[in-house]
Amino acid sequence: MSVREPVLSVRDLVVEFSTRYGPVRAVDGVSFDVYPNETLGIVGESGCGKTVTGLSILGLIPSPPGRIVSGEIRLGGRDLARMPEEQLRDLRGHEISMIFQEPMTALNPVLTVGSQMVDVLRRHKQYTRRQARAVAVEMLARVGIPVPDKRIDEYPHEMSGGMRQRVMIAMALSCDPKVLIADEPTTALDVTTQAQVLEQIVKLQDEFHMAVVLITHDLGVVAETCDRALVMYCGEVIERADIDRLFEAPRHPYSRGLLDSIPRLRDDKLAELPVIPGMVPDLAHLPSGCRFAERCPRAAADCRRERPVLDGGPGSPAAVSCFHPLA
Amino acid sequence: MSAIPETSDQLRGGVDPAPSAQPERTESIWGKAVYKFSRDRAGMIGLGVVLVYFVMALGVWLGVWATEWSDVEGPKWAPMSAEHWFGTNIIGQDIFQRAVYSTKTAFEIGLVVAVLSTLIGALFGALAGFFSGTWIDEIILWMKGVLDSIPFYLFVAAVAFALEGNPWSMHVAMVSVFWTTTGRLVRGEVIKLRNFEFVEASRAIGVAQITIIFRHIVPNTFHILLVQATIVFVAAIKSEVILSFLGLGVQDGVSWGLMISESTLEVLAGFFNNFVWASVFLFGLVMAFNMFSDALQDALDPKKVAGS
Amino acid sequence: MSTPLLKVVDLKKHFPVRGGLFRRVQARVRAVDGVSFELERQRTLGLVGESGCGKSTLGRAVLRLTEPTAGAVHLNGEDVLALSPEAMKAKRREMQIIYQDPYASLSPRRLIGQTIQEPLDVHGIGTSAERRRRVEDLLDIVGLRKQVLSRYPHEFSGGQRQRIGIARALALNPSFIVADEPVSALDVSVQSQVLNVIARLQREHGVSFLFISHDLAVIQHVSDDVGVMYLGALVEFAASEDLYREPKHPYTRALMSAIPVPDVKRKSKRIVLGGDVPSPMHPPSGCPFHPRCPEAMPQCREVVPPRVNAGTAAKPHYVRCHLYSDAGTAPA
Repeated sequence: MSVREPVLSVRDLVVEFSTRYGPVRAVDGVSFDVYPNETLGIVGESGCGKTVTGLSILGLIPSPPGRIVSGEIRLGGRDLARMPEEQLRDLRGHEISMIFQEPMTALNPVLTVGSQMVDVLRRHKQYTRRQARAVAVEMLARVGIPVPDKRIDEYPHEMSGGMRQRVMIAMALSCDPKVLIADEPTTALDVTTQAQVLEQIVKLQDEFHMAVVLITHDLGVVAETCDRALVMYCGEVIERADIDRLFEAPRHPYSRGLLDSIPRLRDDKLAELPVIPGMVPDLAHLPSGCRFAERCPRAAADCRRERPVLDGGPGSPAAVSCFHPLA
Repeated sequence: MSAIPETSDQLRGGVDPAPSAQPERTESIWGKAVYKFSRDRAGMIGLGVVLVYFVMALGVWLGVWATEWSDVEGPKWAPMSAEHWFGTNIIGQDIFQRAVYSTKTAFEIGLVVAVLSTLIGALFGALAGFFSGTWIDEIILWMKGVLDSIPFYLFVAAVAFALEGNPWSMHVAMVSVFWTTTGRLVRGEVIKLRNFEFVEASRAIGVAQITIIFRHIVPNTFHILLVQATIVFVAAIKSEVILSFLGLGVQDGVSWGLMISESTLEVLAGFFNNFVWASVFLFGLVMAFNMFSDALQDALDPKKVAGS
Repeated sequence: MSTPLLKVVDLKKHFPVRGGLFRRVQARVRAVDGVSFELERQRTLGLVGESGCGKSTLGRAVLRLTEPTAGAVHLNGEDVLALSPEAMKAKRREMQIIYQDPYASLSPRRLIGQTIQEPLDVHGIGTSAERRRRVEDLLDIVGLRKQVLSRYPHEFSGGQRQRIGIARALALNPSFIVADEPVSALDVSVQSQVLNVIARLQREHGVSFLFISHDLAVIQHVSDDVGVMYLGALVEFAASEDLYREPKHPYTRALMSAIPVPDVKRKSKRIVLGGDVPSPMHPPSGCPFHPRCPEAMPQCREVVPPRVNAGTAAKPHYVRCHLYSDAGTAPA
């Protein structure tokens, strides 16, 4: 990997939520870089902190009960973690955009698609209504919506799930952002529609030269669309690697366990699927030492005493957080 | 259990994700509600005041105090003194005793009407909701519509007339009208719950429909029923005040409404004690109960309590 | 050949859409439109398709949890749809269901013990003590500890709730269970746990499943036979090995290629379908798949393709597609 400047840098991000049991860290010291023109996957199961990470980049964590305790989020020299709300609002939709899992709740049901897109465009660029509308129609065409000049006046509920998702992508990209954060963008879609939307995202990333942070629990999606990926568990990044490396030779036992336990099309039928025993621990009652130790086939005494950390900074090509990694 | 939202939808919708269970820690839904309620200062104050009133009413009911509420003890319109804490009314009855006695009356009306109207509302609401779309629902809705259209006080007058001065006529009238709101809310919730898979699962096992309604569905509406009961309690007490003005209120005994209506002439003559103290007592209970009821509703809100 | 465990004949479920002043029926949603298949004892049929294809409705119609519009469902030789309510209640002991949503499938205000024991109570099976023991045995089978009995559903995770649902479904010892997307709502690392429970039930207890899912990989793991549904029709039906080795219907092929595979080497050419899954309220004419089909021919728009056996008599491979209409034998 040649020396490039990251477009987005996260360093030691800590996000806390106040709960009945005291403050709980949904994100506990996460660091990573995002480079221009790449797709970075953040993968993990529910509760691992991937969504909270994505939302905190844009300052969308509801506060209370959540807040960013410490850490930096650098975009072009500015620290988003410390930025006041008005300035963040200028950034959102403009330099960084986000798309969500449920387009039906992300889009306003009482406004037409067109008026929502025009609003976004006019907020960030000095367009007249007519200019903004023209740009919106063009964006809709670029995300593959047929007859965009008619569709633009439709309401979200008049469209199918796949189309709504594409509208959301169009809206997110309309101001030419440097970074697109996609939070489970295809989870709520049918498999065939999912294929369309993913293809769209990959194509647009190329055309717009932007960075994409793809948050998902679906390892298949990551394999097909990402260049690099982070694996998160209980609020921490436990492995980071290039895609090829991650899928062929994962080093963290959790990554390995996850890859092995997913049912996938294979020629030999298994009697039983490999399983990661136990459950994800409650973030309010984390074990001391490595958070994965109680479920890990390779756990040893040192794993329960101390917490491992990533063995490489964000600039290094790969890193794993484990005392006894594979390979 | 952690309240960390797991998806962006949960973050925005405020839904509690399910916990990973530590089987050593039992948590019932009521336990969580009690915890939430105890953090609500207004609610706790309201509850405290209501309890004070309740003890007052209990004492009256047990004959411990305010037994001389109807006795003519003093001169007409005696001022507030050590002997008559709130003074006396036009006949010479002790206002303080009457005010305390009225607490019992208030609780009686409130509780009877609240409990009965909630039960009836739950019953009809559940039936209407479960059989929504069929004739059962149509009939119940029609009943509700009719009852809601009749002006309340006319209705009470009509019932009082029909029951020829029966002391329960006021309660009957109130219950007949107040059940409709509970019924409507329960119906809405039951329609929603009816589509949950656990209902179908019971059918798959072979459970009879009526059993499903009352064993599985209605218990999931308890949060609505409880809050509605408290609202009706307050409404009943307030309605009684107007009814007393109309002469349709409490027949035997005394209530704040009766005291206030008696005091209209007195106020014109410049004597305020009767009016003021009855109003203060009334206002105190209503206000406290409202605070309690609001806090209760927040604590029981299913969106904030996992499992509903 | 012995009687199949389950024989579904031309099953239809139409939902009337009412509208207008007099709530007249304006249209019909043909959720299930003439589906026929057989399932042998101790085999599992995987039913796969996307949203709106009718697979969930089919599962419920087979169990008579929703009343079919037409057709017959023979379970252990008896036509379920012709039974009286009392006979139906007894018949329910042979067939049960587990659901997708682990949060909605258990009654929130009932204890787990009550929920699992209810089937036994309703059918009056055994004494009180015997029922309690059966419940504990069921917990063993699904891999849960006894302590769960005195807790409420919300105290458990999705995977645990699914197991509780499975325990409830097993209580009456059914020969046949409809599993409606049982792992779709679960975390990835938990899916395999629950799938293994189901596999154990198949192997050790001889339970047959109608396993409904949109995930072809999961279906392959659990099924002996597979049926692919599209807009209310069964467009392909074959033994699992045959279907996966040689999918015949263009929709099946597109579905298989659309699944994101967690394998960086396997980047095969993807068939990306145009358009969206159409609404079952306005199905296309002729073959319901023709607007999106990469191999559509002129007759596909006109004529509904008949069901044809494109395999052999011993190993049938049914398809509803004009590409095969000339080949193969006439429908069974």
